[in-house]
Amino acid sequence: MIKLRRFLYIGGAFLLLLVKFTIDVISKNVELEIGGLSLFRELLAIGAYALIYLTISSTVTRQGNTPLRRLGLFLIVAYGVLFVTIGFSLSAADGFDRKNLSLLPMDYPTLFFASVSSLILTTFAVLSLRLLSDLVPFQDRKGNRRNYLVLVGLILASALSVAMLRPLDSSILTTVLIVLSIIVIVVNSYRFPWIVYLTKREKIYTVIFAFFLFLAFVGLTIFLAADGTIKQSLLYYSYPARQFVFLVSLFGCIYFGMAFVSTLFHLPTADAFDRKRSEVTSLHNLSRLITQVFDFNELVDTVTSMTLQVCEAKSCWLELLPPDPGSHASGSIVADSSALHVVAMKNVALADIDLLHRVPGQNLRDDILRLGTTIVIDDVLRDSRFGHLKKAKNSIAAIVATPLVSHNVVIGILYATKEFRNGFVKDDMDAISAFADQATIAIENSRLINQSIERERLLREMALAQEMQRRLLPQVLPSSPMLEVDAVSTPAFEVGGDYYDFVQLDDRRLGIVVGDVSGKGVSAAFYMSEVKGIFQALSRLYPSPRDFLIRANDVLMGTVDRHSFISLVFAVMDIRTGQVILSRAGHCPMLLVSADEVHYVRPGGMGLGLSRDAVFAESLEEQCLQLNTGDVCVFYTDGITEARCRSEEFGYDRLLEAVRRVRHLSASGIKDHILKTVHDFVEQQAHDDDITLVVVKWKGTPA
Amino acid sequence: MSDFKIAQREKDAVSVLELKGYLDAHTASKLEEALKTLLSNGRYHIVVNCRELSYISSAGLGVFMEFIEDVRKHDGDIKLTNMSPKVYNVFDLLGFPLLYEIFKDEQEAIVRFFDRKKMPPSTTL
Repeated sequence: MIKLRRFLYIGGAFLLLLVKFTIDVISKNVELEIGGLSLFRELLAIGAYALIYLTISSTVTRQGNTPLRRLGLFLIVAYGVLFVTIGFSLSAADGFDRKNLSLLPMDYPTLFFASVSSLILTTFAVLSLRLLSDLVPFQDRKGNRRNYLVLVGLILASALSVAMLRPLDSSILTTVLIVLSIIVIVVNSYRFPWIVYLTKREKIYTVIFAFFLFLAFVGLTIFLAADGTIKQSLLYYSYPARQFVFLVSLFGCIYFGMAFVSTLFHLPTADAFDRKRSEVTSLHNLSRLITQVFDFNELVDTVTSMTLQVCEAKSCWLELLPPDPGSHASGSIVADSSALHVVAMKNVALADIDLLHRVPGQNLRDDILRLGTTIVIDDVLRDSRFGHLKKAKNSIAAIVATPLVSHNVVIGILYATKEFRNGFVKDDMDAISAFADQATIAIENSRLINQSIERERLLREMALAQEMQRRLLPQVLPSSPMLEVDAVSTPAFEVGGDYYDFVQLDDRRLGIVVGDVSGKGVSAAFYMSEVKGIFQALSRLYPSPRDFLIRANDVLMGTVDRHSFISLVFAVMDIRTGQVILSRAGHCPMLLVSADEVHYVRPGGMGLGLSRDAVFAESLEEQCLQLNTGDVCVFYTDGITEARCRSEEFGYDRLLEAVRRVRHLSASGIKDHILKTVHDFVEQQAHDDDITLVVVKWKGTPA
Repeated sequence: MSDFKIAQREKDAVSVLELKGYLDAHTASKLEEALKTLLSNGRYHIVVNCRELSYISSAGLGVFMEFIEDVRKHDGDIKLTNMSPKVYNVFDLLGFPLLYEIFKDEQEAIVRFFDRKKMPPSTTL
């Protein structure tokens, strides 16, 4: 659609110009005395140029070209036009005849050249105006844009005002409009918002481009003002067009002249401006980095490279203290400087840094850790802290070292160096310390994220460990018409050291074991799984409880560390006869509930893993019991008896009383009753010890 | 969490530790620290007075096990005294009376150190 429209514009312009050219050719030979012919000619020209303008303005160029690039391209076009025009004016040999305030070409080449150069110059003027319209109201402020539109309006008005005049005529209105146009041109020529944001390099280019554009427009203006072939060609061809081109070219002169001077004045501050801008950019990048802190090494690397960039330092490095979870609590304690380690460096070797810090006790690190402020050393060789560098090969002359302070604690130090003395100005220091602040936040964030990732991982591991341990406990309870069995084990934390298990020794004997590893948590859990292995392996080989425990002690002594031990109670029950053989290795006594009495069964025996030699075996007794129908054996760990409410323990007496009244219940009922009694006692406080309870009820033989 | 305190006294070349309060997994490190200090100072004649010890957990018992071997290697001993019946029961359940000398009274334990020195080594525990 746009293509079609542009084709129509170009076609229309070409048609109009062709008609005009035909009229011009005819009127050169024949004196055409038609009224309004000259006005018709002007209208044809204006119409054609208007269509050319529409073509150009409907041309969609690729956006994103910088002002500098546009200036460069425009410079080439301007000089092209200038040379073509000069060429034409030199070759248009005979010039024009003046007649009755009008101009007439002497020959056909002149006529042709006049037409072509007029077309070229007007098109160029339209292009110029378009470029200037991009430059002047660069940021589209309301005032700028209005001034610019007034200017364009005045230029067009003064061009149209001559449409009725003969080429060599003039009027007061035209003069007034021209003067007004020049005033508005000057007003508009103070707009250089685009220059400020150029880099130094771009500014230098702009100075050159603006200078040559200025020259080009001056040349053009002179050609259009001086009474030569070019001026005459345009006047002959179309007075308004000449007026338009003249004013635009004047605008170009003034604008690029001012641009040249203005950019020239911007050059001395260009460096400072560039640096400020790179500071802002780097800070911005760094603050964005804060949100992308999953890769710690990348983060510290960016911090150093940006520091290098922001103060144009020779080298830069970052030293950090290891993250210490307790450091925030003890804020006033000065950290140990030897814990500082280099995490990122640029243009410097580790050996050089070590050399710098070689004198212990009296070096930069200690001072910064103590004072917590930035230290600037303008001349390294005259600083007492670096006396040892005099003999060494050293290219560092000035150093800035700034602490990374988080919650009033120094977590690290950022260094920047230069190879000449007094290298750091105040701006550098401000930039580095601003940078250090940002870097601190980023590093702290990164560490926090890593910590929480690590914690998540540990939580998952613990959940897995919990599941694994749960599976170490019997999944199915032994069942027999002569027995009721129920059991429960709840660790205080994710995993614990309590253990219970059953083993079917043969078709009539059931082994029951309940144990407790000293301590809690992970270490206890590991021993617990070891005990499970030992029990499953040895209980079948040594079905006598005492033999089994002696063997188990032998095995455990080799693995259990000195301050850990395991208490275990092992009972072997003959399901048919109700005979129980019991041995106890330091574990809580078994509670036996008979019809007429409730009492603890406590054969002697010390805990496993306490003593290797015969002392253990000697201590161990084996007790034989005969159950009656309905008797109940209760095995438990000290989580039950030592369950505490304030300073009082649940104790053995309460356990005994709790069971006494419920002998008639099923094993599950008894278990639930004991648990409920304990829970009621501790008043819903979370238990802080592993709790295990195994209840076995012998139903005996019906016979 | 719970209160646990250790007071230390020197009595005739014997170091007496008086324990007070709850000795469990949280407070065991205090006792561990105290015993470590004694050993590093070459004090191997140790009496632990449990008069005001209201509770001891398996972690607390573990502390004694950790050091006893070292102490006895240096011809010393850890003797326990003045236990409440409840605390004694915990020691007793685990069979500690077979591993440690437990006395009703602190003075008995101290005297025992000097008795032992006069006796030939073969008659020791």
